[in-house]
Amino acid sequence: MDLMPLVAPRVPRLSVPVPGHAEGRAGLPTPEQIHPALWRAHQIGCLRQATLATGFDALDAELPGAGWPKRVLTELLLPHPGVGEMRLLAPALAAVAQGRAGIARSVMLFDPPAVLCGWALAQLGVDGQQLIVVHGREGSRGAALRNLLSNADLFWALEQALKSGHVGAVLAWLPDRLRADALRRLQLAAQSHDGPVFLLRGIEARLKPSAAPLRLALHGAGPDELSVHLLKRRGPALAEPLRLALPPVLPPVLRARAESARMPARSGA
Amino acid sequence: MLWIAIHLPLLSLESFAATLGAGQQAWPLALLDGARISAVNRAAAALGIKPGLKRATALALAPGLLFGQADAARDAQAQVAVAHAALAFTPSVCLQGERTVLLEVNTTLRAFGGLPKLVDRLQNATQPLGLTQHLATAPTALGATLLAQWRERIETIGPHTTDIVALRRLLGAAPVWLLGPGREHWEALQGMGLRTLADLRALPRAGLARRFGEALLTDLDRARGDAPDPREWLVLAETFESRLELFARADSTEQVLHGAATLLQRLVAWARAQQARVARFTLAMHHEPRHRADGTTPERTTLDIALAEASNDSVHLQTLLRERLGRLPLPAPTLELRLHCNDLVRRAPPNVELFPTRASEREGLVRLVERLQARLGRAQVLRVQRVADHRPECATRLQPLDPGAPPPREAPLPPAEPAGQPAAHLTRPVWLLREPQPLVEQRLLPLLDGRPLQMLAGPERIEAGWWDGAPTARDYFVAQTHDGSLVWVYRARLPTAEGGWFLQGRFA
Repeated sequence: MDLMPLVAPRVPRLSVPVPGHAEGRAGLPTPEQIHPALWRAHQIGCLRQATLATGFDALDAELPGAGWPKRVLTELLLPHPGVGEMRLLAPALAAVAQGRAGIARSVMLFDPPAVLCGWALAQLGVDGQQLIVVHGREGSRGAALRNLLSNADLFWALEQALKSGHVGAVLAWLPDRLRADALRRLQLAAQSHDGPVFLLRGIEARLKPSAAPLRLALHGAGPDELSVHLLKRRGPALAEPLRLALPPVLPPVLRARAESARMPARSGA
Repeated sequence: MLWIAIHLPLLSLESFAATLGAGQQAWPLALLDGARISAVNRAAAALGIKPGLKRATALALAPGLLFGQADAARDAQAQVAVAHAALAFTPSVCLQGERTVLLEVNTTLRAFGGLPKLVDRLQNATQPLGLTQHLATAPTALGATLLAQWRERIETIGPHTTDIVALRRLLGAAPVWLLGPGREHWEALQGMGLRTLADLRALPRAGLARRFGEALLTDLDRARGDAPDPREWLVLAETFESRLELFARADSTEQVLHGAATLLQRLVAWARAQQARVARFTLAMHHEPRHRADGTTPERTTLDIALAEASNDSVHLQTLLRERLGRLPLPAPTLELRLHCNDLVRRAPPNVELFPTRASEREGLVRLVERLQARLGRAQVLRVQRVADHRPECATRLQPLDPGAPPPREAPLPPAEPAGQPAAHLTRPVWLLREPQPLVEQRLLPLLDGRPLQMLAGPERIEAGWWDGAPTARDYFVAQTHDGSLVWVYRARLPTAEGGWFLQGRFA
């Protein structure tokens, strides 16, 4: 008795398009040609909805759609307020406040960590008349007075502003502890908001998952420089952080002096 | 002449249901007239309860039945609300009896694009008031009323006849009890075998008048169009006053809001009848009298709501009312609500356009700010205003945003910095601390978080404020922290208790 040799059934080989070819086999379109919402992991996604130019060319080159995305959340994670985030956002906010075709749109800030200086914003080019500051959590005195339901009020105000669709840009400083679905709800509300939404949180939130499609971590890297890590974006991960030159605080002479003072310290250490 | 009659068959029951809470309106309800039931709603009818039953019988069939009494004043307010809603379509509106509203629409047919569209829009406008309605159209007023009342058992929308001959034919088949005088003499007429209006017309007029009075013949003639039927049109009140007595006392905001929603719908109908928008209104909540020893419980609480941008959108008004009520503590349960309004705006409403214009964006933003201020408080939504003062803490003022008012003039920028373009280098930090933070000094340099700061930009001396009692004399430096961020510190030149170095702000 001989055993019949086991023969595997014949299956037709599927043809997988090789990346890098403009068309797959026999003229099949590649995914990124079918719909702009499809993208491969090694490419930077291209956003069909409009983006807002950041004002920094190096950053524009690394962001999907070449700018801050509109109608979605963008998270900026900072070790502490004051590393340079406002100077990073200033060109985009100035563009929003000036508006297109003569329609200036307002910029709303929710719970800023400190008092805004109107003169500094004017020097950055942001029109102070379009700014609205909302204290969702506490009174302007800085001490939590009676608002024990503080977070609920803040998120309600954020959702109202996003859903209304009449605000140009939204910046929100979120508390450290959030409910699990809070960001999800904000992301859904942001779809009816025609502009960028910036959520600024502490750096410890980098380990927590988030619904925002773009996450940046900012660190100071010198007097007028900022180092930007792209933690999450629609595209491949960036290996090295970007170094951006912010609108300067120091006049050039003093900056050169500060640089030269830093260099020997570095080379010495 | 073309008349539309809106008949409200369940007016008493539904105006009673409006006084109930949100959950109770779905319960079986019945209206009592003496000891017998006069009207039931659908839930009660499903349980087998019919008008004419005795109270005890009904309770035996449905133990959870809720009883109410008909109130003529309450019904009249609801009927007037429907008339106000109808006034948006024609200036000729009058009331007929206690349950019918008549509109004369011949002059406005063209403006609304024909009778079917007008009827459609009329139904949409009266639907938020929450009353069951039957419509009918006819060339005479009473004819339309009869048709609206007659078809209630057969179809919801009565026949629309625009032709007097067709109307007379229809009325020939109508039952006699539809006429008011016919209802009074119904037994006698039935005993004589007269059931329809055609039967009545076949009889000699003199005999009918002698037996049953002139009123029967007059109504019949007016319905058929043989006699004139002059009407006095409804005159709109100058101020709006409406009250709602709640069935059960309201302990929570939601219950008060539910009752106030009905009143707000009536307010919006009244405002729309005048092509105007509501600018402010007052809600008075009358409380249950509590016999306290100190007698400090107020009899009522008044909530005054003024709108930055007048509107007649009932959803927006309800949102504002909800936010304000949520923050108002009520001293006692509420028994009665009264809404008062005499402040209307008669300007043309802003255009609703396809693409956002400056005016529509501004109006949308005004409403958003109104909502935020209603919930968070007026002092929590602020605008940033520059002040011409050298002291940094006074140079920026945060003021409550007044949404309707134009922005006030603020200090102009120095001529070296035109607006909209960034300056060559920043001289002021974006973030200023609310109170300057004192810094520890070590070897003549300040420490922040235990690390020495590195001074980068030289002293900028600011001396100001000697004229208003807060003199400051400071030397400001731009310093760099250990992690590379820039801060603005100053050394106080006037002696202070906390020492010399202070942190004023951060260059964000």
